[in-house]
Amino acid sequence: MSQSLAKQCNEVKERYDTCFLKWYSEKYLRGIGTAENNECSELFKEYSQCLKVALKERGIDKLLEEAREDNKENDAVYLGRKK
Amino acid sequence: MVLTHTTNHTYNHPFPTVTLAFFLRYCTPQLNPFANHVLSTDTIAQHVDPATGRLHTTRIHLKKSKMPPAVMKLLPTSLTGGAADKASYILETSVVDMKEGWMSTESRNLNFVGVLSVIEKQTYSAPATSPSQHVTAPNPFASNGTTDVATTVIFRSRLGERIRDKLHTAHHDASGEGGWFSRLGARGVQRSIESLASTKTVDQLGKSREGMQKILERLRQTGVMGVLELRKMARERSMEAA
Repeated sequence: MSQSLAKQCNEVKERYDTCFLKWYSEKYLRGIGTAENNECSELFKEYSQCLKVALKERGIDKLLEEAREDNKENDAVYLGRKK
Repeated sequence: MVLTHTTNHTYNHPFPTVTLAFFLRYCTPQLNPFANHVLSTDTIAQHVDPATGRLHTTRIHLKKSKMPPAVMKLLPTSLTGGAADKASYILETSVVDMKEGWMSTESRNLNFVGVLSVIEKQTYSAPATSPSQHVTAPNPFASNGTTDVATTVIFRSRLGERIRDKLHTAHHDASGEGGWFSRLGARGVQRSIESLASTKTVDQLGKSREGMQKILERLRQTGVMGVLELRKMARERSMEAA
């Protein structure tokens, strides 16, 4: 896809994205993609670890927490039941 | 104050292809020329629920600010964080259920929420009239089939609530900066932000649909491998340029 927000994660992100797109189109969309046979899990762990640092540095982890709180409030008030 | 806007659209592509296009839509400008404003895309969570078989994904996109310039001008820098902060983080969550044939997505801005919060919800589904279409066909990219999408955008400006306190403290000094809001009236500002943003977003919805259309056409022509190849080439080119 496009770049990662953290330059140092670009390479692992690219590998994960490619893995995911292949898994999604070749397995998940054909009904054979389950939680167990996901060959991209290890790559995702690596990618997440890299990204975690960047999210913290930019204060995005805090924004995410706020959004989660806000989400509950919004859904309750404006949208009712979630699918 | 809250504004909502709902639209319906039908893509002339089967449901599995449309869900793939959703994941690919910020891939590269070569694939989607309408994604030039997207600076980065990251997946922060992704898993298949073992009980339901649904795929849950959370992504963060960094986009050049979609806040209309007219709104930016209206706002004091104390609220916008100044010119440096004209990119916004978008949190996108999605759930795909391939067995039942639906995908539901939600995108919301993570910053600027004190000024304006925009939540876009979409539900993609295979039409009810052809239930067999989405049920894990041997070739999910078969070129027949359509997909319905319902989009709801909810705008909420909390500016009024936020500045009310400021107004109270600035009240005695009404000729100063506090007067800016007093003259226009917090409610008026709030309302214009929402209506401006709403007009802009309706515009944006058209573009995002055109973008999806481009990706869908490409998928029909070259398949997934063709798209992956294009992506790789675009990446190599950008690395050479760097």
